[in-house]
Amino acid sequence: MSASKSYPLVDCTEPNLIEETFDYSLPPLIQFDGPVVEYVDGQAVQIDPQTLRTRDIHITDTTFRDGQQARPPYKIEEMVKIYDMLARLGGPQGVIRQTEFFLYTKNDRETLDRCRALGHRYPECTGWIRADKGDFRLVREAGLTETGVLTSCSDYHIFQKLKFKSRKQCLESYCEIVDAAFAAGVRPRCHLEDVTRADTEGFVFPFVERLMRMSEQVPEHLSVKIRLCDTMGFGISFPGARLPRSIPKLVYKLNQQLGVPSSRLEWHGHNDFHKVHINGATAWLYGCDALNTTLFSTGERTGNPPLEGAVFEYIALKGQMCGIRTEVITELASYLHSIGVPIPDNYPFVGKHFNTTRAGIHAGGLRQDERIYNIFDTTALLGRPPRVALTDKTGADGVAHWVNEFFGLKGDDRISKIKMHKIARWVIDQYEKEGRMSAITDEELEAKVKEFLPDYWEKYKGNVQR
Amino acid sequence: MPSVQDRVIAVTARVLQLDPKEIKLEHSFTSDLGAESVQSIELVANFEEEFGIEMDEDAALSVQSVGDAVKFITQVCREQGVDA
Repeated sequence: MSASKSYPLVDCTEPNLIEETFDYSLPPLIQFDGPVVEYVDGQAVQIDPQTLRTRDIHITDTTFRDGQQARPPYKIEEMVKIYDMLARLGGPQGVIRQTEFFLYTKNDRETLDRCRALGHRYPECTGWIRADKGDFRLVREAGLTETGVLTSCSDYHIFQKLKFKSRKQCLESYCEIVDAAFAAGVRPRCHLEDVTRADTEGFVFPFVERLMRMSEQVPEHLSVKIRLCDTMGFGISFPGARLPRSIPKLVYKLNQQLGVPSSRLEWHGHNDFHKVHINGATAWLYGCDALNTTLFSTGERTGNPPLEGAVFEYIALKGQMCGIRTEVITELASYLHSIGVPIPDNYPFVGKHFNTTRAGIHAGGLRQDERIYNIFDTTALLGRPPRVALTDKTGADGVAHWVNEFFGLKGDDRISKIKMHKIARWVIDQYEKEGRMSAITDEELEAKVKEFLPDYWEKYKGNVQR
Repeated sequence: MPSVQDRVIAVTARVLQLDPKEIKLEHSFTSDLGAESVQSIELVANFEEEFGIEMDEDAALSVQSVGDAVKFITQVCREQGVDA
């Protein structure tokens, strides 16, 4: 293929750091040049991504429901503490708008009561029940105004799991549940389980159409919400993908053709194909206002969209913090780690080494300007300065970065790497002479700082943070 | 007292474990004498100790050859009032 356009070099002597996008004080902003185009029923339709800045997109949480299905139950006090931190993280604008609770056991109900007793406006507490009319008594007794109801919609579930004799029988059964919710004065949030493997034209859309008609008969505060559950992680974000896997088409059709308002559309994904976060963000783009998430992507099998990922995506789309307190993400990670929730070292935003670099050439970059190898100001936003882990690849730059971060030294106070030569030699010898295979630990380095830099140790040991 | 040149060559030979007689002024520390990254740092640290001076890190590490090191150290000694 021959070139169709030429791009002459734009020479300059001052760097262009593209700070209108990479403002270091925020996560990199997500900016759009124009509309997004999708083909629906053979026609090109345009979605204006600029509306993301003004739409009331938000995050919902299912850490206590789907997140808890994948692990031993949390204790009541643990859930209350997590709920309190979620409230602080999401801020007064309710970016983390809702969280849902099981209602079946005494502990479930006590947890709910204690969370509500904290008096936070957000996240609002909602319930989750099976598709059983009798369960609305639990919702009413708990004083909740909204509950999720399981309304599975693929034939895998309708016929193979739930053993309905026909789709019509299934649809009527679900509608009876919705009527029972209305009668109980509870807003039903229909969880369209396995929607990305369902017959959309033959069941999903007719069912949603019916739900919208039913909603017209009740006050707005009871009207049905639709949660699109990508139960097996089959959803695809690419424009042009086919239903039922296409998130763009699914959301667009529900929103624009069937008239489900964005405020009543929610996406709930799973990570079986590593698409969980981008699929959630895609649902936001095409018209879902709510993105359902769990802390650190806990949840059935491979987990749900990570709440903390959605938080940074939200800020990147909005271009401002919107009252979010991102530093609470670090608190939440520390707390969940302390109660046995495993978080891999390389897990984004919170893993032990999420902003740790090992290569010497990267450590050299960090030493000159931390922006070179740090995604944003992780010190300000997460309380996590960029770090280096020392191996045979790290070199003296890495040693210098580690020691200066260890002592919390900035600018002209930073110690020259020339002064670190004995530590750097010790590190190299560990690998070249001792045959070491593992990274140097922080404890070993601290001991070497005391041994080889005793004057600096005496001067700065008060700065060391544990 | 040995000259700056003799002392630079002696330090270089000790740090890089070479025979001083093999070191020429035109030799590059890295490509001719085989100094690796950490050894470059060790050379600068040992020059500072040998001459009792403090060198700017970036400037010192940008010196390429033995002869340039002699000139650079002579200048730093003069600036810092150190007899060399």
